[in-house]
Amino acid sequence: MQQLIQLIVSGLAVGSVYALVGLAFIMVNEATGVVNFATGQMVAIGCFLAVSTSLQMGLPLAPAYALALVAMALFGMIFYAVVFRPLQDRPVVTVIIGTVMIGIVIQNAALMTWGSVPFRPRSPFGRQVIDVFGAALSAHALFVIVVAFLMIALLYFFIYRTDIGARMRAVAQDRDAARLMGIGVDRMFVLTWIIAGLLTGAAGILVGPMWFADVNMGDPIALKAFAAIIIGGFSSVPGAIVGGILVGLAEMLGAAYISSAYKDGLVFLVMILFLLVRPQGIFGERIGQRA
Amino acid sequence: MKGRTALLAAGAVFVVALVLPAFISGYGIRILNLALISAIAVIGLNFAFGYAGLITLAQAGFVGCGAYITAILSTTAGLTPWLSIPIAVVGAGLISIVIGLPMLRLKGHYLALATLGFNVSFVIVATNWKSVMGGTDGISGIPPLALPGWPFATDHRYYYVLWLALAVATWCAWRIRNSHIGLAMIAVRDDEIATGAASVGVTRIKLQAFALSALYAGLAGALFAHMVNFVAPDDFALGHSIIYLAMLIIGGEGSILGSIAGAVIVTFMPELMRDLGTAYLIVFGSLMLLILIFLPKGLLSLTAIVGRRLKAPGR
Repeated sequence: MQQLIQLIVSGLAVGSVYALVGLAFIMVNEATGVVNFATGQMVAIGCFLAVSTSLQMGLPLAPAYALALVAMALFGMIFYAVVFRPLQDRPVVTVIIGTVMIGIVIQNAALMTWGSVPFRPRSPFGRQVIDVFGAALSAHALFVIVVAFLMIALLYFFIYRTDIGARMRAVAQDRDAARLMGIGVDRMFVLTWIIAGLLTGAAGILVGPMWFADVNMGDPIALKAFAAIIIGGFSSVPGAIVGGILVGLAEMLGAAYISSAYKDGLVFLVMILFLLVRPQGIFGERIGQRA
Repeated sequence: MKGRTALLAAGAVFVVALVLPAFISGYGIRILNLALISAIAVIGLNFAFGYAGLITLAQAGFVGCGAYITAILSTTAGLTPWLSIPIAVVGAGLISIVIGLPMLRLKGHYLALATLGFNVSFVIVATNWKSVMGGTDGISGIPPLALPGWPFATDHRYYYVLWLALAVATWCAWRIRNSHIGLAMIAVRDDEIATGAASVGVTRIKLQAFALSALYAGLAGALFAHMVNFVAPDDFALGHSIIYLAMLIIGGEGSILGSIAGAVIVTFMPELMRDLGTAYLIVFGSLMLLILIFLPKGLLSLTAIVGRRLKAPGR
């Protein structure tokens, strides 16, 4: 029983990281129509920027995290200018290969900057554990869940309760009509990429102390996030959250009770089953037919 | 007429290729062999992506299917490679039909993600099914292809086997391209709804294109296994599927010669940039991105542009 609680909490923690990454993916895809296959590498950069500010520059964690997030926002803007602008309105496959190539560039730039030896970022709570019904829960895992959900709540408020959020939704619905209404479409695109940078940056910062900071960490995380948004529903915000948590739980419980070797295979099996049987995911419209 | 000149040019390239190994050292010929193997896989990918417009990220997985099937049959089962290679090709094709039947209902990046899932799953299974697929250690001791008393054990000898295989593969692809099947594939890519309305079975055509690409991939994988005599999961990871797609786009999608050119160029690129050391992949990725942005129809379109420039003064 204690073990089950521990597994569920760590599954929720990992799952909320996947949810953040999935949200970054969906935000970009909905607003700009770009499928960003470099999302995973953005997570890795976020994680390593926090390593630089906290371990290498020796800042206290709060300003270190803030600085890393600011840098990630900048990174999002650079990504917009260098990758999105030139590839905008190209066929889907060009964008897929283009973002994959940028992912390769980012990953190897990170390798040259931070080296191949993984770092162990520290958590604000160290190795502290909290005792709940006899189960020893990692304080960091609980912290991850709380922060991820605060961020998601903030994002919700921003998108659905503010003027700028309404403008972003207008751009996502119909770019040309939004432009005719006097909305600065390009400015909304920049904002979308900044949000993507912040979401992936936060995911990287949170995941660091759970795993190691490794330059190759991006792809596995991005693949799980893909699975999460397919399961949840490709264009749905609640879908990304539910999908992310399901994938996180499946990963942890599957590893413990079914097979630790096949835990990732299990996730992709579920993803493929969803694509075939219910391509619209748990939430969201029917998307399998949408090109 | 235009087709004939292209055919002649292809013939000339093959003759040059025939005498080439006499001038190349051992390491160079290994890279060249890898380029030829990739070319077969990319010609296959051209059916699915270049003609039928299916975005598939599973090509390396099918190459792996071919490689593992022939590896298992020629080691544990003790079959001669002359039998195990055709079985591997057919096996890869059958696997593609089984997964293609449900998956090809998807379109665009949903198909890309589903095929990506297949490729990732293939590597997971190959890594963990130790009793049959050998796990991370892979399968070693795969025998070379051999005529009686004449094993193709060196890279120089094997080069000619690959050359023959590529020539046959290219010729078959050419025939298929110009048959009603090839035309139907292109019709599906250009306008799926209109093609369906003209009572062409769209799903069947897509499945044919997908299976053809897997047959070619299976051949490439089987030939690879008997060259390196060793297979391991890493050689068939998702990254390789992306490289195959990059080769096709760099060479020029929808073109058989472009497929071969792309495979050769991308295979040799790391060798040309060896001085860059670890920065190589950064340059490689940036270069690919620049080609995608500025030459969306691939490097072959460059020759067309140059040709137009040359002709311009005469007009």
